[in-house]
Amino acid sequence: MEALTKKKKKTVPTSANSFFLLQKSEVYSVEIYGTKELEKTEAGGGDEKYKDIKGKKKKKAEELKKELDLEDHKLSASELEGKYGTNINKGLSSARAAELLARDGLNSLTPPKATPEIVKFLKQMVGGFSILLWVGAVFSWISSGIQIAQGADSPFDNLYLGVVLALVVILTGIFAYYQEAKSTNIMASFSKMVPQQALVIRDGEKKELPAEQLVVGDIVEIKGGDRIPADIRLIAAQGCKVDNSSLTGESEPQPRSCEFTHDNPLETRNIAFYSTTCVEGTATGVVINTGDRTVIGRIASLASGVGNEKTPIAIEIEHFVYLVAGVAVSIGVLFFIISVSMRYKILDSIIFLIGIIVANVPEGLLATVTVSLSLTAKRMAKKNCLVKNLEAVETLGSTSIICSDKTGTLTQNRMTVAHLWFDNQIYSADTSEDQTTQPFDQSSPTWTALSKIVALCNRAEFRPGQEGIPIMKRVVVGDASETALLKFSEVLLGDVMSIRAQNKKVAEIPFNSTNKFQLSIHETDDANDKCYLLVMKGAPERILERCSTIMINGKEEPLDSEKAEAFQTAYMELGGMGERVLGFCHLYLPENEFPDTYSFDTDAMNFPTSNLCFVGLLSMIDPPRSTVPDAVSKCRSAGIKVIMVTGDHPITAKAIARSVGIISATSETVEDIAKRLNIPVERVNRREATAAVVNGMELKDMSLQELDEILCNHSEIVFARTSPQQKLIIVEGCQRQGAVVAVTGDGVNDSPALKKADIGIAMGIAGSDAAKNAADMVLLDDNFASIVTGVEEGRLIFDNLKKTIAYTLTKNIAELCPFLIYIIASIPLPIGTITILFIDLGTDIIPSVALAYEKAESDIMNRRPRNKQKDRLVNQQLAVYSYLQIGIMQSVGAFVTYFTVYAEQGFLPLTLLGVRVDWENSAINDFEDSYGQQWTKYQRTYLQWTGYTAFFVSITIQQVADLIIRKTRRNSIFQQGLFRNKVIWVGIFSQIGIALILTYGLGHVTALNFTPLRFQYWFVAVPFAVLIWVYDEVRKLLIRRYPGSWWDKNMYY
Amino acid sequence: GLILLFYLVFYGFLAALFTFTMWVMLQTLSSDIPKYRDRISSPGLMISPKPDTALEFYFNRSDTQSYAEYVSTLRKFLESYDDAKQSQNINCTPGRIFDQNDVAVKKACRFNLSELGQCSGKEDKTFGYSKGTPCVLVKMNRIIGLKPEGEPHIQCASKEEGMVEINYFPPGGLIDLMYFPYYGKSLHAHYLQPLVAVQLAIHSNSTKEEIAIECKILGSPNLKNEDERDKFLGRIAFKVQMTE
Repeated sequence: MEALTKKKKKTVPTSANSFFLLQKSEVYSVEIYGTKELEKTEAGGGDEKYKDIKGKKKKKAEELKKELDLEDHKLSASELEGKYGTNINKGLSSARAAELLARDGLNSLTPPKATPEIVKFLKQMVGGFSILLWVGAVFSWISSGIQIAQGADSPFDNLYLGVVLALVVILTGIFAYYQEAKSTNIMASFSKMVPQQALVIRDGEKKELPAEQLVVGDIVEIKGGDRIPADIRLIAAQGCKVDNSSLTGESEPQPRSCEFTHDNPLETRNIAFYSTTCVEGTATGVVINTGDRTVIGRIASLASGVGNEKTPIAIEIEHFVYLVAGVAVSIGVLFFIISVSMRYKILDSIIFLIGIIVANVPEGLLATVTVSLSLTAKRMAKKNCLVKNLEAVETLGSTSIICSDKTGTLTQNRMTVAHLWFDNQIYSADTSEDQTTQPFDQSSPTWTALSKIVALCNRAEFRPGQEGIPIMKRVVVGDASETALLKFSEVLLGDVMSIRAQNKKVAEIPFNSTNKFQLSIHETDDANDKCYLLVMKGAPERILERCSTIMINGKEEPLDSEKAEAFQTAYMELGGMGERVLGFCHLYLPENEFPDTYSFDTDAMNFPTSNLCFVGLLSMIDPPRSTVPDAVSKCRSAGIKVIMVTGDHPITAKAIARSVGIISATSETVEDIAKRLNIPVERVNRREATAAVVNGMELKDMSLQELDEILCNHSEIVFARTSPQQKLIIVEGCQRQGAVVAVTGDGVNDSPALKKADIGIAMGIAGSDAAKNAADMVLLDDNFASIVTGVEEGRLIFDNLKKTIAYTLTKNIAELCPFLIYIIASIPLPIGTITILFIDLGTDIIPSVALAYEKAESDIMNRRPRNKQKDRLVNQQLAVYSYLQIGIMQSVGAFVTYFTVYAEQGFLPLTLLGVRVDWENSAINDFEDSYGQQWTKYQRTYLQWTGYTAFFVSITIQQVADLIIRKTRRNSIFQQGLFRNKVIWVGIFSQIGIALILTYGLGHVTALNFTPLRFQYWFVAVPFAVLIWVYDEVRKLLIRRYPGSWWDKNMYY
Repeated sequence: GLILLFYLVFYGFLAALFTFTMWVMLQTLSSDIPKYRDRISSPGLMISPKPDTALEFYFNRSDTQSYAEYVSTLRKFLESYDDAKQSQNINCTPGRIFDQNDVAVKKACRFNLSELGQCSGKEDKTFGYSKGTPCVLVKMNRIIGLKPEGEPHIQCASKEEGMVEINYFPPGGLIDLMYFPYYGKSLHAHYLQPLVAVQLAIHSNSTKEEIAIECKILGSPNLKNEDERDKFLGRIAFKVQMTE
């Protein structure tokens, strides 16, 4: 009973009955102690694995996890006075308070050292490819400076280029900064919780003071509705109850008095904690801790002390950036050396270097990735997953372990009648969310009697004005079990309120913890029968004690030992399913003894309360959500391990775990095996058990190795009776296995675990603000099934980002080759740096985003989560296939167009080789072409720009083919459907549209280096585009045909 | 191994494909005239000799070495205008476009070196450089099919007045229409483009000064000389500085 009320986020009201499940009453583990044990093993343990304490940061976190050594609850009032130098009646003196304030600081939580905004902004400016582009920009300015100094005739080209590069960096930096700024600060909600004013006794007078001014030893008064201004030890209380839900997750208001009731400071009644709310009553207390030294302050600093791990996608993107930057820098430096040794001027070599860098860096890609992620985030928000940290979108997809809460996440978070026992038989009731009828046999007269007791012996009522609303959704005034019973009988009997009206209540004894039953006496609706009906419900064994008969098939039969045995069996069975069992009995009071004028006195109990007639049992449970078993099996087929972490009792937890499939039907725990083989638990081979139910108390005493062993050896694990702080240990254990861990949570004290997890998922309905702040994702409907949707979206976006990157990287080769050939063969430059930027940041942007809308190629929920080490976002195959195959094909296509343009204007391909120096010499204005015509420098430059445009158009055309082939990695385009993703077509049209505008609309703006282009040049590269598509279809065909072959290994990215 | 083989085949195929498409493209071209001539609708002007650096002449009239390069460039340039080399060329009717569209073998019109007068190099082997009257040849870029209208002639001016006196050979800087149109390298092998010699008689008080000279083609409505971006379209600017 005692323990029940302390369960985390329990829906069960205190008016419940003690039942046999709770023989173990000492179950609430003290979380903060738990870690201390671990620390010991860490210090003493010889295992290297656990010694990798990383520097100071980790140490600090360990310190914070340390035991909460609070003794004040054990002290008497006078000892307190002595300890804090205060007087309970007069309070501190103002002078002393000022002294203490100076010593301890303000009573508020210190916000974590926030990185200054400017630093965050600058980080964006130099992160990723930015540094390369800055190098490019600086080189541009240097070379432009040199050119100005040398009096060259077009020194400003490089100046502009530098400005454009800088702009690109700044704009993408601002974009990224904006995205980051959206994610909110975890401390924000803690500071919101700080109370404004406090009523303090100082110098013997009551004063309103800002809560910040409180010091240790202050005497404060609180009343219903107040927020507790600091950690206080109560010295007087009248009917005081506090809501500790934000601290411990308990949803029931906890009574507070001045008695010391428990060793654990978190359990004892005489301490109220900072930032919790006083629900009712009044109290006076001594401030024992302020600011960061309060319990919540410790948790807050623990949450911010837990480092934010890099998300898997961030690691992948970093890996990709290094890869591309590596390629860019090495090719750049290589060709710098080549061009210097080919006796190019240093200045020219630098300009080549800039070109190579710009061509190699996919400028638009990081922005595209962000946009793709936020599109997925939007899609997920529609499915009730609100993503706060964009990168978390993908993290969910790579998740390999989900540590899920039970209540509300896996279950419906409301008590529902699950089973009935009457006529010596157990009946199952429908527990789905939208029940309208009940399937079990209701013909027995015993049921009629039972249903009457259920309807009458109940104080819960529907709030008026809800006639149109389905019964299950109506709001009820009353505790959880009574609500369950009311709804149950409303479904079965119809209007319960009118039944109660017809059976007027004449007397009532409400539930109390001594009686452990509830009783009421009613007039009957039968006008001829003037006798009263006494109905009673309560803890089954207590009810049975008061009965002498039992109703079987409508007839009262004496309660012999055989029938009592049957009762016991049924009670055990229902209890074994983790359900809360209630017994029901009744008695028709004889009319002669109790005439209708009889006045019942509930205090004197002037009516029989024994020798009643036992009617039946009802058991209730918070049933699983109907979507959850399916979602769990989806997780299972997706290779995700679902671990239940709950504060609930192991038996209930296990029952729910079984019913949702977290523990599958065939698997057994060590205890199950022991029971089956009838041997002691110690003798069971632990490897045989696939499932495990771990109690929080056991976990407390476990070393890290033991925990690892459990996590490793059991595929189906339930952690019961765990405190939210133990979640952190479980999460860390999972992460030691190399898993990507998703954690759900709702309380303030879940926030360290939520932060520690690779992806923290807070509950949108039940979650506290702090949990929501610490989480990366918020489940708007608190439903586990939504996580699975999120996993699916996460995996999809990972696949689609691969496609986006493959698409983007391909054309980089087509942009790079011109520079390399320009340097080596000294042909007129085929494509300009500015033009490249127009591809990277113009035509290519929308198509690469469009790939984010691509549907999955196969059932992505049937494969295992990706291996962080092996399944990279950008793997060798992807880079090689994009760079060395499709990219080269694109380059060839573009070069054909380039040579065609020059040849048709009079420069045959061979005459172009080696002309670079003369071609670019502005003093040569009679440059002869293959036909004997002579060209001025400007005429040549204009032709060169036409070449740029042609090259640009060719790349664009071939990128259309590239876009189409990237829709799938394995399936044929025809399997995927060419028109299913409409956005791809938006992308294609935008691509061509932008190219048309640049070519014909802006073709006369010299600075952009575009010129109007003859229409036929748009089609020169078309055969190559078709070739790319055909080649890729062949590739995919061979991959599908010969899985595991050389081709598959080398060509599948 | 297999990878190398694969790429060998792959790139071999691409190279073959590239060669093939280029070959197909070249088949569509005529060897006589380029398919499009829209990028050079109007000719540029150029001078000979062309100094190595920018278009700037620096020489000392009394130091043969300082202008030897200009002289030899001019001599070399004019070699193809030698009477001996022009034996195949015919005398055309001056002042008229010499249309040979119907003729298979295009004739070239004779350009007599004597028309360049003092700048022909016949009398003065130093082209006036030793006398302080340096000659610069101005020529118009060859463009296939170009038919100038009106009476095209070259006119030069120094930026500041009174520094130099400019004489033209042929007189008035005239470019005769009979040299047009040009039919291209392969059809019109012996074609010689008409030249205009500009003799700069530098005033004695202007020695040691940098004289900026701009030449333009005038008198022909279809020859542009005012293009904003192309500083050599129908015009050319150069500098001369002579010391003694």
